[in-house]
Amino acid sequence: MRGHFGVRAMGVRRGWRLFGAVVSGAAIVLAGCTSNGKPSATTSELSDRGNSIYQGVGLTPAQPRPQFTLTDTAGKPFKFGSQTAGKPTVLYFGYTNCPDVCPTTLADIANGLRAVPAAIRAATQVVFVTTDVKRDSSAVLKAYLAKFDPGLPNRFVGLTGSQEQIDAAQVAAHVTLAADDGQQHSAEVLLYGSDDYARVAFLQSNDEAAQVAHDLPLVAGIK
Amino acid sequence: MIRPPLSLLAAGLAILIGMAGLVRGAVPQSTGSVSSSSSSAAPIVVSGAYVREPATPNNAAAYFTVSNTTGTDDVLTSVASGAGGQAAVHTEDAGGSMTLMSSGLVVPAHSSVTLAPGKGHVMIEQLYGTLRPGQTVNLQLTFAHAGQVLVTAPVIAIASPAPTAGPTK
Repeated sequence: MRGHFGVRAMGVRRGWRLFGAVVSGAAIVLAGCTSNGKPSATTSELSDRGNSIYQGVGLTPAQPRPQFTLTDTAGKPFKFGSQTAGKPTVLYFGYTNCPDVCPTTLADIANGLRAVPAAIRAATQVVFVTTDVKRDSSAVLKAYLAKFDPGLPNRFVGLTGSQEQIDAAQVAAHVTLAADDGQQHSAEVLLYGSDDYARVAFLQSNDEAAQVAHDLPLVAGIK
Repeated sequence: MIRPPLSLLAAGLAILIGMAGLVRGAVPQSTGSVSSSSSSAAPIVVSGAYVREPATPNNAAAYFTVSNTTGTDDVLTSVASGAGGQAAVHTEDAGGSMTLMSSGLVVPAHSSVTLAPGKGHVMIEQLYGTLRPGQTVNLQLTFAHAGQVLVTAPVIAIASPAPTAGPTK
């Protein structure tokens, strides 16, 4: 039986190994009575940092901010490359009927944002691209994202489009192409800095919000 | 897949929930049931249960840790929920996909299994109403050996950290 939904880590061996470490680390954290957002003694198990300055997963080589155009929840074209240029930007692909990783990831992103200095929070844009174009209309996306961004200065941007456009966006962003009507999709949260490169990505873990809060200021270009 | 008694229970829950428009409140259980907060003599102990407030009206995910205190492997064969018309365990398969556990979730003797984001959950579908923080969702777990175990899972806010998982045994 195919999974009703799934998450693809980075589509490379390194990614899977990291994801495994993240998952097992999360289990350990839960058993150890540590909750979300609180770095724990198992932090070192949650990502393979090496000498990276980032707590998320370092991307080598850095990935340039992709160029793609989709439709926002107001029905207007959204040119990702130009409309987010120069801004710290979080990019995530998922779908609203995803019960598990997607909402947890979006909540982690929001909580990470809430933990950074206000100037960085005000500069940062979060963009969610649906991988389920059949079910995630603009209205559905808008209602969904409104659950996550209360109190944040910038609303989360929800993007949809034709299947071809969504596929092109994933290719441009170098994430694994989603399958099964978007139910199997990349788990990667990409963080583009003010220099328009992504040098770090995040995978859902108990530590994800803290990782975002740690790494975002490093790439935001704001003192 | 769901045996008659569970269907009846689910129907009963559905009526209760429908009347209340909520999922709050404990549902009276038969004497055979074991609650998650029961004594250490229970063969199956479920701890750290919670449901994250869903962002979609279509489904929700429940998480918990199942500990098998006996010397015999047990299997979580089915789940019914007071919060929706369908509930089932989904766990990550070898390929990294979340997949329905059609054969049940094995809880080995003297060990525990944790359902956590990215690892597994009980997917509740056909929600009877909006789930809000502060409400409680009832889950009726059926095990091959231990029988039925009632779990009451609080609904936590979308942005809340996951509750700590007990038990400290």
